[in-house]
Amino acid sequence: MPFREVNAKMVEATVQPGTKMFSQRGAMLAYKGDVSFTPNVTGGQGGLMSMIGRRLANESVPLMTVEGNGTVMFGHGGHHVHVISLTGDTMYVEADRLLAFDGTLQQGTMFLGSQGGVLGMVRGQVSGQGLFTTTLKGHGAVAVMAHGGVVELPITPQRPVHVDPQSYVAHHGDVRNKLSTALSWRDMVGRGSGEGFQLELSGNGVVYVQASEEKL
Amino acid sequence: MATFRLQGSRVLAVDMTGDAVKAKNGSMVAYDGTMTFKKLTGGGEGIRGMVTRRLTNEQMTVMEVKGHGTCWFADHATEISLVGLQGDKLYVESSNLLCTEASLRTGTTFTGLRGATQGNGVFTTTVEGTGQAALISDGPAVILRVTKQYPLHVDPGAYVAHQGNLKQSFQSGVTFRTFMGEGGGEAFQIRFEGEGLVYVQASERNTIAGDV
Repeated sequence: MPFREVNAKMVEATVQPGTKMFSQRGAMLAYKGDVSFTPNVTGGQGGLMSMIGRRLANESVPLMTVEGNGTVMFGHGGHHVHVISLTGDTMYVEADRLLAFDGTLQQGTMFLGSQGGVLGMVRGQVSGQGLFTTTLKGHGAVAVMAHGGVVELPITPQRPVHVDPQSYVAHHGDVRNKLSTALSWRDMVGRGSGEGFQLELSGNGVVYVQASEEKL
Repeated sequence: MATFRLQGSRVLAVDMTGDAVKAKNGSMVAYDGTMTFKKLTGGGEGIRGMVTRRLTNEQMTVMEVKGHGTCWFADHATEISLVGLQGDKLYVESSNLLCTEASLRTGTTFTGLRGATQGNGVFTTTVEGTGQAALISDGPAVILRVTKQYPLHVDPGAYVAHQGNLKQSFQSGVTFRTFMGEGGGEAFQIRFEGEGLVYVQASERNTIAGDV
């Protein structure tokens, strides 16, 4: 577990020789020891092909590689930071919410349409997040940002969770997501409750929800 | 009966078993189980209530959330306070009201000059009955007790809500100097007298009072 929460808005990561981590460019606040920061031209791992993939997918938040021997503090924009640890499962998160993550985690992008079909694509549009999302897979820790702190909601097969697309931060586990609606025809004709669409997450896992409808 | 609990200081979880709550439009962040969301025209009380609200500019847009399960509410990462009502009346700015049990009656009342300095109009929302309500505030709300011996003065921009047997009046510290451009920025206060509680937030809205 390389992250330690310093306070609600700052995390400290330990970097050891032979290991590396990735963070959002410019998110370093302070460091101790002998640490180097290299801008990551390829935007994370996976070489040139994955970079092109990310560019197209518009999930290309500039990353940097952090290597060396020491501790680094990360934080960004005064947002709340939350640490999530992965034990072999896949996490789905919007690229701009990623603060820092373990170098051992495999990074990728996922087309939203591949889960939930057309509604998956609609979801990206509704939440203003585009058609792709970032995935991280493996064993390690991830620090994500949220406006106003995060609540963790467990998803079980008996209890799917519905989330406001604007409040959605990330999720992991064996989870399917699709866009759902709790609308009646009345609401469609302009008298909505403001809760037009939700993201329905079902299966086994955890979803992280922020205390706000604001984008970062 | 719906039960209200805070998850952290900025997220409200409401457990429901077929009952309903009234909540600020668009404040749902997540739910499990089955829920329906219905916009309430003007926030209850039928047509009359709606017309009053239009006239008074206390237009809360409220939705009714009904179902089985847990519904989580939050609004722009603002802090949430729970208020229990035992048959008494809560006065609250509509912009500070997040959620109430459906059994509570909501209405509007005239506040006199106070509202005008607050930039919130001259009317305020009332919540009456027995049950729970959730308030939102910019920064954690502090609860100040008012007793007969100790009246309280509050900056209109920091006022959130009050309950109990309180008389409110509007006080002005405007002097000749204020108009000469040397005001202290604290030209108006609301004075509370009697017995009750006043909720104050750690922030000030933009008010005309702040400019004088």
